[in-house]
Amino acid sequence: MASTSGAHVLLVEDDPTTRRSIVVNLDAHGYHVAEAADVRSAMLSWETSRPDVILLDLGLPDADGSVLIRRVRRDATTPILVLSARNKETDKVTALEAGADDYVTKPFGLPELRARVGALLRRAGGPAADASGSVAVGSVVIDIARREVTVSGHPIELTPREYELLKTMLSQPGRLLTRGRLLRAVWGSAYDSEAHYLHVYVSRLRRKLDAADPTGRASSLIVAEPGIGYRIAEVEPPPI
Amino acid sequence: MPALLARFLTYARPSRPSNVTVGLGLGSIVIATLLAAVLESETQVPDASGVYLVAVAIVGSVGGTWPAVATALASFLAYDVLFIEPRFSVLIVEPTDWLNLALFLVIAVAVGRLAALGRERAAEANRRAREATDLFDVSRLLATADSTADVAAQIVEKLGHEARLERVWIDLEGAPRERPLADTGTGPRPSPTVVSTLARMPGDEPARWVRAHDPLVRRGPAPHGGGDHDAIRVRIETGGTVYGSIWAIRATGTGPPDPEATRLVSLAADQLALALRRDRLRQEATSVEVARRSDALKSALLDSVSHDLRTPLASIRVTAGNLADPTMALSSDAVREAAETIDTEAQRLDRLVTSVLDLSRIESGALEPDLQVYDLRELVDAATARLRTTLGDRPVTVDLPDDLPLVRVDAVLLDAVLANLLENIGRHTPPGTPLEIRAAPSERGRITLTIEDSGPGVADMHLARLFDKFYRVGGPAEGARRGMGIGLSVVRGMVEALGGTATARRSQRGGLTIELRLPIAPEPPPEANG
Repeated sequence: MASTSGAHVLLVEDDPTTRRSIVVNLDAHGYHVAEAADVRSAMLSWETSRPDVILLDLGLPDADGSVLIRRVRRDATTPILVLSARNKETDKVTALEAGADDYVTKPFGLPELRARVGALLRRAGGPAADASGSVAVGSVVIDIARREVTVSGHPIELTPREYELLKTMLSQPGRLLTRGRLLRAVWGSAYDSEAHYLHVYVSRLRRKLDAADPTGRASSLIVAEPGIGYRIAEVEPPPI
Repeated sequence: MPALLARFLTYARPSRPSNVTVGLGLGSIVIATLLAAVLESETQVPDASGVYLVAVAIVGSVGGTWPAVATALASFLAYDVLFIEPRFSVLIVEPTDWLNLALFLVIAVAVGRLAALGRERAAEANRRAREATDLFDVSRLLATADSTADVAAQIVEKLGHEARLERVWIDLEGAPRERPLADTGTGPRPSPTVVSTLARMPGDEPARWVRAHDPLVRRGPAPHGGGDHDAIRVRIETGGTVYGSIWAIRATGTGPPDPEATRLVSLAADQLALALRRDRLRQEATSVEVARRSDALKSALLDSVSHDLRTPLASIRVTAGNLADPTMALSSDAVREAAETIDTEAQRLDRLVTSVLDLSRIESGALEPDLQVYDLRELVDAATARLRTTLGDRPVTVDLPDDLPLVRVDAVLLDAVLANLLENIGRHTPPGTPLEIRAAPSERGRITLTIEDSGPGVADMHLARLFDKFYRVGGPAEGARRGMGIGLSVVRGMVEALGGTATARRSQRGGLTIELRLPIAPEPPPEANG
């Protein structure tokens, strides 16, 4: 994981014990970690050091963590990972809609945390489309120039909305896409609370992808995050 | 004779006769006159006045007493003028004619009254029958309804129709003001200037209407044309408790309701009072039961918490104590093993705390499902993928048909349900036990999601209570390390919050089968514009 070592991490967490343990662990894995215990000092740290990734606890003593998310998003696309308590789906969705990239649920294990941070840093490079204008995830390939989709080499017929939905999801593999974000991107901003459209279309899309795939499992790349949205599973890069 | 006449005249108070009755009276006199003329001239009958009696009897049975009396008087005059010498004059010369004519009048009036009485009795019987039917309908509505509120709208509708009232509503007693239960009308209530309240009398005395200017209505211009209406009010009370009132509006100047309407409304008020009392008693019984069960829940929860939550805590403290002890010379492998123990125990604590929190949310009714349309396959895949580690090497077969309808659930709750069930399998079945998840549409509007394992299963005697709170198969001693017995009660609570049901039965492979019945989503919208 050469690309992530040496990365600068800003950790915003008010519980000193948790903060200390995360710092020690990330430090041992080659990250440079700056700490903040509230939104005010986190803002200062962001202004002066511009980290590569931000780990943000939402319940901070002086303000809600989403204030920081909005501030950062005014200037930069720096990946933000939210550390959130269980049973707070609405908080997670709010933070993700404000511009956070992903979340882990407390209590989490350190290996899981490192895996998420690594994934965010890898994706920070840019869109997944290659020079030929096609996006490929697993056995599914979209030729954006020709608006064609193939599964294991077999072309499939998609309606315009199904195509838009698949394209929007596949262009950001690994990224957690909230229902609101997908609805706005595919249907327009008037539809951002019409989640049933999204679930019905994803369900149709899955059937079409599976029907064209010899193993019948092509749709497993669309991973549901119950109550939040969808994520395209990152396929392990082929061994070199 | 005048006394008798006066007596039955008071019985039948005159009302304005209809045009039909007047026409019938006149027509029958003309026909009777013609018949009498023919009879007296052609057949030499000396006195054909009996024909008029037929006319009086017909008018009496159709029109009632007063038209009959009028017809009798008219017949008397007609016979006098047309048939008694000297003709075409009211004068009577012969004393026998005097006698005949006087007798004729008395007989005519008596015949008319008798005919009318028959008619009145029939009408009265009809009214009584109708009143009995109405009351029966009201009692049946109240007796079959779970709650009075469910049928109050039908009752006011019926009262308005049968007692001929313009608008009827029921208000329930409450502080600071009465609250509406049902209303035949819509919009703001008219503010009547005069309110007649029905005063019930003890014993057999009939109830009386007591008129009063409504003290609640301010003088001055009535806001909603209230001046056009008078209101009546009947209190709904029984055993000294007032539950509310039936109110009704009548056009001004129509006076208090007639005795039939009064009887109907007041008996309906009595029935309502009994039904409202029944509702209140039932409500009190339920809240007592809820309080009792909640106490039982608290003590059971405390028992479980003190044991099951402390066990992992004790293990964590002991292990951490070893790590912190400077005199212990631990190898790096031993340190790692200690850390893994702490991590495992902490995860166990996390699961327990989550279950307790879920249970308390269910118990307090704080679950507010966000029902959305979902593909069941998606939720099953997400849960099985997340619990892969818990399930270990147990092979999982997921068999969901391609044309399975979409379900309408809260994804977070259903995910927690599936996680609980899969964790349960991970805890109670030996490694390598195969499990199968399948789904199929069952009864109308439902999908049955089946989670079946081939593990040791649960004895039939335990199946019925498997979803009960704190119920542990094998009892507390044996189940001490098998969780608090709340996982499945959380499953049931959550599935019920989703509008579904959860049941357990013995699997054909010998293991445990859990069946969740979940509501199917309405048909997806047509693919307009792709």
